[in-house]
Amino acid sequence: MINVLLYLPALAALLLVFTPGATKKYIAIAGSLFAFIVNLLLWQQGGAEVTSVPWVPALGMTYTIGLDGVSLLLTLVTSFMSLLCVLYAAFNVERPGPMLANVLLMESGLLGIFASRDLILFYVFFEATLIPALVMLAIYGGPRRVQALTKFAVYTIIGSLFMLLSMIGVKYYSGSATFALADLLAKPLDPKVQMWLLLGFVAAFAVKLPMFPLHGWLPEFHEENHNSGVPDVMGTLYKVGGYGVFRFALPLFPEASEELRFILMALAAFTTLYAAWIAFQQTNWKRVLAYAGLSHMGLVALGVFSMNDIATTGALYLLAFQGVYMGALFLAVGMIYNRTGHVNTNSGGIMDDAPVLSGLTMVLWFAAIAVPGLAGFIGEFSIMLGAYQVSPWLAFIAGLSVIAAGAYALTAYQKTYWETKPQGTVALKDITGLEGLILISAVGVSVIYGIYSSPAINMIRPVVDRIMQGLGG
Amino acid sequence: MELQMPDIKFMAMLPIVIILVTAVAATILGFFTSRRNIAMLGITGQVLTLGSLFSLWDQNLSSFAGSLQLSNVSLIFAGIILIGSILSQLTSLDHTARSNLNFPEFDIILLYGVTGTLLIAFSGDLIVMLIGLEVMSLSTYVLATLQESRRSEEAGMKYFLLGSVASAVLIYGIALVFGATGTFSYDGIRQAIASQAFQNDALLLTGAFLLLAGFSFKVAMAPFHQWTPDVYSGSPTIVTQFMSIVVKTAAFAGMIAVFLRALPGADWTLPAQIILALTMIGGNMAALRQAEIKRALAYSAIAHSGYLGLALLAAPDLGIPALLYHLLGYTFANAGAFAVIAMLQQDDRGMLIPKMRGLYYRKPLHAISLAIFLLSLAGIPPFAGFVAKLVLFGAAFQSGYTAMTIIAIVTSMIAFVYYLRPAVLMFMPAEEPQSIEERSFPNSTLTVLASVAATVVLGVLPNWVLTLFNSPIVQQAMK
Repeated sequence: MINVLLYLPALAALLLVFTPGATKKYIAIAGSLFAFIVNLLLWQQGGAEVTSVPWVPALGMTYTIGLDGVSLLLTLVTSFMSLLCVLYAAFNVERPGPMLANVLLMESGLLGIFASRDLILFYVFFEATLIPALVMLAIYGGPRRVQALTKFAVYTIIGSLFMLLSMIGVKYYSGSATFALADLLAKPLDPKVQMWLLLGFVAAFAVKLPMFPLHGWLPEFHEENHNSGVPDVMGTLYKVGGYGVFRFALPLFPEASEELRFILMALAAFTTLYAAWIAFQQTNWKRVLAYAGLSHMGLVALGVFSMNDIATTGALYLLAFQGVYMGALFLAVGMIYNRTGHVNTNSGGIMDDAPVLSGLTMVLWFAAIAVPGLAGFIGEFSIMLGAYQVSPWLAFIAGLSVIAAGAYALTAYQKTYWETKPQGTVALKDITGLEGLILISAVGVSVIYGIYSSPAINMIRPVVDRIMQGLGG
Repeated sequence: MELQMPDIKFMAMLPIVIILVTAVAATILGFFTSRRNIAMLGITGQVLTLGSLFSLWDQNLSSFAGSLQLSNVSLIFAGIILIGSILSQLTSLDHTARSNLNFPEFDIILLYGVTGTLLIAFSGDLIVMLIGLEVMSLSTYVLATLQESRRSEEAGMKYFLLGSVASAVLIYGIALVFGATGTFSYDGIRQAIASQAFQNDALLLTGAFLLLAGFSFKVAMAPFHQWTPDVYSGSPTIVTQFMSIVVKTAAFAGMIAVFLRALPGADWTLPAQIILALTMIGGNMAALRQAEIKRALAYSAIAHSGYLGLALLAAPDLGIPALLYHLLGYTFANAGAFAVIAMLQQDDRGMLIPKMRGLYYRKPLHAISLAIFLLSLAGIPPFAGFVAKLVLFGAAFQSGYTAMTIIAIVTSMIAFVYYLRPAVLMFMPAEEPQSIEERSFPNSTLTVLASVAATVVLGVLPNWVLTLFNSPIVQQAMK
């Protein structure tokens, strides 16, 4: 069942290559829809037990996969957003074939990341998502994509190679027979070597999270991507760094994480505020979203690195639902582009012509700036609550970013949607049925999980408790 | 008088005999039939040779008092060599006409070259190894020159002159090792060193170092690598393909034999580390600046020699399986990459990397397969190159060469830039419309498809091959 989930999208992508143009979109939709249904069935069954088969015994690589609460929640979000992306791309992108194939490939990779319980398997899926991201940027990117692409590739690959080195080191120093997480955890590492190994992991995850100063690739990556916003959504889901830290880095290196906790938290708090400040100055919607995402990820990092159970739960909650509303916002930017032909924040007056689109976008922005009653609030509030117990000052600094978020989001929103329209522009069409469906479902998820959070919390909490127990905290 | 029969096992000579008979038959038939038939004959002979390797598996035969040894390791080396040469000859079927190589001599010389490489793989002493190396080298000099063009003549000449110097260095090294230990055979040399029964320490060390220098030239390791870019880009593409896979595998087979079987304890590791570090850094840095794909791949070949060399430093039980796996993955990726280039290029100068822009929209399958080969060479999962780098770097790391592992990892990060650039350019829409040459190359396409399949399967299910390499018999053979 779980394997069906992982490889169904990739299979559909492969099928796309061999089908003629017109049927491509239906295969892609069917593929992602089935993946989502399988994912829901798995949810109903309460996830999947960890199963392990030897993959390359000579090297200690195993094929170990499983879905517990946290992974299940993240896979659900992934398959849900992939479905929305496929739907949107199928009808709003010219020549959607390669993009659909890449979205599906990326979905497989992301699901694999959340399911794997073996270091090397994790690394394989981690890198496998890189290729579709690069190809999408290369095919559909903007005029300065070469630079964006090089930056992105260099940052991520260098980060992940350090992680690979650390992975080899973990197995070597712990004396474990395999790379499977359970085996490695059974043999605790000497605190002396933990520090270097942890830094290797942090290098990789700080690029992906991303965290200051390794975020340089992010704004250009989003700005140069296709205007539909579809690659950006998949790129947003790509921020698997927080999950990686939670699942692998902290449990494997408890002592070193304890030692570095304050530095990492400070870096995370700084990232939040710094990103919010830059987001305030942007006039390009893609860049606003990129920096807003960066700011959220700073909060996620703050929560995860604080090693506090409430904060960690909040961080994972934010990580999951941030994917939904930020993803939908990227698609909304694509919709604006379809109407105005640009993604600047200074178009003005969209509210007059397209009230439904504007209203839905506003709700999504409210979710993003953590207005109570929407999903973003619960995550951010829990992070603050937990981080406060660890370091009140850092929680305070990060808390400022919530105010800053209100400032940048409302300023940008105000300029685009409310201010008077420039003279002589034509009236814009309001939202189409499909666009409405996509935005409304994202809004729906944000509202439901903003009010009724316990289903998701109940999925996250046991896993967090188990891992925190392993840390002795 | 009792007649002393020499120790000859014909079974042990089977692979070499088959390929030699094929070569001789091809030489004679070359006067009577078309080039195409000769090539088909050659491929058949090589497939038969490959088949004969299976019947010799696990037998550990030796012949001529140990001068020929067919351990499982050497059989795997021979297998990789033959896979590479079959792929090369298959590719060449489509391109000899355009490359002005449309005469049977091309295939005949290729077959003689393969005979030499097999001799290296099966060698049990330095003399057989040297004979194999010379047969192989002489064939490659001719192959590089065979095309009547100034570029190819220059490449061949350069290769010949520098190659002779390297052979001379190698022979001098062999002489010194013989002088120190009194024997040519690998086992004998090792025993002599182990029992401290050799005359002169300095002599042995100098000999080992000269051997290292000679081999470094053959596999293109810095600072003996300068010939590679010129020769690779000057030779016809199908010859470059042959050189980059078959010749390199054979030279590494020789290096493994000499340094791990004959001289395991000698102090060659420090100079080797310096050479490897120079190779990895120099090769990758220089590749960054190449504008032409064949030259970039030549520097990539240099860099890969550096990575492969790590296997010599590592403990044999870790290093040798890693080396074999990497060579196999590298053979497929390079064979495929050069086959794609051969299909795309306008002439034998290769292709400028910026010209590859938009290739995906003209020839999607070419672009996707070339991207897969480049990603595999870069070591990105889920392709063979990833597992290869993992085992290789892991072997060096676990044998205590941490600094070398870090250099290897850092340089392969640099390498990503020059592998990803063409790989990604191909998917960008072209700026100006380019003419499409509509020609089908059925045999090259076969090479490419086989290589794509192998690159993916080796990457996803590496276990099939790794267990083979790791079997206790392989370990036994290296004792």
